[in-house]
Amino acid sequence: MKKTFKKEKLLKWSRINRQVLIGAVLFLAFIFPLFNLLGWMGMVWVRLGVKVAVFVLLALGLNIIIGETGLLNLGYIAFFAIGAYTTAIFASPRLGFHLPFWLLFLLSGFFAVAFGFLLGLPTLRLRGDYLAIVTLAFGEIVRITLNNWESVTNGPGGIPGIYDPVIFGLRIDNNFEYYYLTLGLIILCLILIRNLKNSRFGRAWNALREDEIAAECAGIHVSMAKLLSFMVSSLFAGFAGCIFASLQKFVNPQYFVFMQSVLVVCMVVLGGMGSIPGVIAGAIALDTLPEIIRHTFAFWLPSFLGEDFLTSFPPLLQNFLFDFDRYRMLIFGLAIVLMMIFRPEGLIPSRAWQRELHEIDPRLLEETQMIRFDLEEEEKDLEV
Amino acid sequence: MLRLEKVQTHYGRIEVLKFIDIEVNEGEIVCLLGGNASGKSTTMKTILGIVRPTSGRVVYRGEVINDVPTAQRIKMGIATVPENRRLFPHLTVLENLEMGAFTRNDKLGIQEDLKRVYQLFPVLEERKNQRAGTLSGGEQQMVAVGRALMACPKLLIMDEPSMGLSPALVDQSFEIIKEVNKQGVTIFVVEQNAQAALSIADRGYVLQTGEIVMEGKASELLKSDKIRKAYLGEA
Repeated sequence: MKKTFKKEKLLKWSRINRQVLIGAVLFLAFIFPLFNLLGWMGMVWVRLGVKVAVFVLLALGLNIIIGETGLLNLGYIAFFAIGAYTTAIFASPRLGFHLPFWLLFLLSGFFAVAFGFLLGLPTLRLRGDYLAIVTLAFGEIVRITLNNWESVTNGPGGIPGIYDPVIFGLRIDNNFEYYYLTLGLIILCLILIRNLKNSRFGRAWNALREDEIAAECAGIHVSMAKLLSFMVSSLFAGFAGCIFASLQKFVNPQYFVFMQSVLVVCMVVLGGMGSIPGVIAGAIALDTLPEIIRHTFAFWLPSFLGEDFLTSFPPLLQNFLFDFDRYRMLIFGLAIVLMMIFRPEGLIPSRAWQRELHEIDPRLLEETQMIRFDLEEEEKDLEV
Repeated sequence: MLRLEKVQTHYGRIEVLKFIDIEVNEGEIVCLLGGNASGKSTTMKTILGIVRPTSGRVVYRGEVINDVPTAQRIKMGIATVPENRRLFPHLTVLENLEMGAFTRNDKLGIQEDLKRVYQLFPVLEERKNQRAGTLSGGEQQMVAVGRALMACPKLLIMDEPSMGLSPALVDQSFEIIKEVNKQGVTIFVVEQNAQAALSIADRGYVLQTGEIVMEGKASELLKSDKIRKAYLGEA
């Protein structure tokens, strides 16, 4: 009896801890830019914060396809590009349009979803590798189109001079405002994902991930469910693209290359497929790590150890540490290989994937041990 | 209730089903026997709409359903226990059962059916939070049947329920089929294990390389020399 009580208490504690943790992360996210006002960090970091927030949105969207539905999309950045270019075309001097921001925002989402639908309709019958190849090709087609459709997109020159968004009369024109705008959008999307996950669609997606034939036999309309998953994830990319274009004030095709798609896939896989905290952690880690490493070696360490401590390092290492950005993909590749070997479920795994990848769930084991312990205790009590 | 009329099915250019006729009446247990590559599974897939017949008609409760998609057929009351059971191995038993009721909206009815399934298989209630992939073969079979029953089917189609089960479990499995049938579900079983299937069925068909070569009452088929030689291992 005592022990079961203890177990319940433990469970309750872990639940409370989780809530506290989520609360703490949210709080930190909210006050993060204020560190700049207090003079603790440079504007660079606030700017980086906005960029990270945009990628968190992207990773959350891609997670719906990869983590929830179990399909691979290697051309995800194309939907981001479509969102960004929609905003760029309809709110810049390029063609002389200037639509209000809310309309732009919806339009970016709409176009991304429309293309998601068009791509998904004929291709979602494909499975596994084939779907990955088709989406990869789609990503390249979009980039090449943007590169060559000079009359509208200005080709490789890109579209400059995108107007600042105006929301309820407030002009969004500095990094702080962008940061809070994106954060608000992330929270909105999180609520949407949460509801979707617990809905029929969420269950259908998870069933598809587990076993397509069984899902069909359960009465799930397989192609519809896949298409919907594709469209919802495109919507997120479209929204992220809209914010990104407004923030950068400039878009060009070179930004939307295949490597960016890979980067978002890495965020989802490293963070933990199907796990929302994991995906967010993955996006934050992959986006901030290069910057943190660069700053560590370029500014922080020299300020502690003297300007020329690096000159004692071999030149190759020096190069590597200063130019980390160039070797980023190399390191990510290595990180992914290591993760797949030692922690295939990601940084913060979802429960289902954890079960999938480890035959015996340690928590379950613990629980059975506890129950056994309870039984033994009870037996002892009876003996007395 | 279900009628296949001169159904012909192709995989590419290969003719798998050659104008077969099968009829399942309401309340019956009908079994379809046949060896490997006889077209048993294709017959089942044709009924479920996973493959479409190239000619002939599939009629369900007086309606031609040739062009009805699978999901819609499930909604119309055709449920299935697929070959190899095909559970969602990483979902819990309860989640698996709930997936069976995917097409339904009546929460009360679903709760009632869940109770019914638990009554039929008390083990499942004990293990409802265990993940389905960790169950034993017999228990997995129970989950598969339970999941199909959660769709509140009028017609239950079972593909090789004896596959991968020990002899004792095969008997148990067919007992369950009988029990489900008593509750008012019409059953169409596709089987290799002729003895076990015929012992519970009302009628049977024998499929050989895509053609129905024999049909009749189960008790008569059991006595037939041809069947005894071909399927029951008697010389």
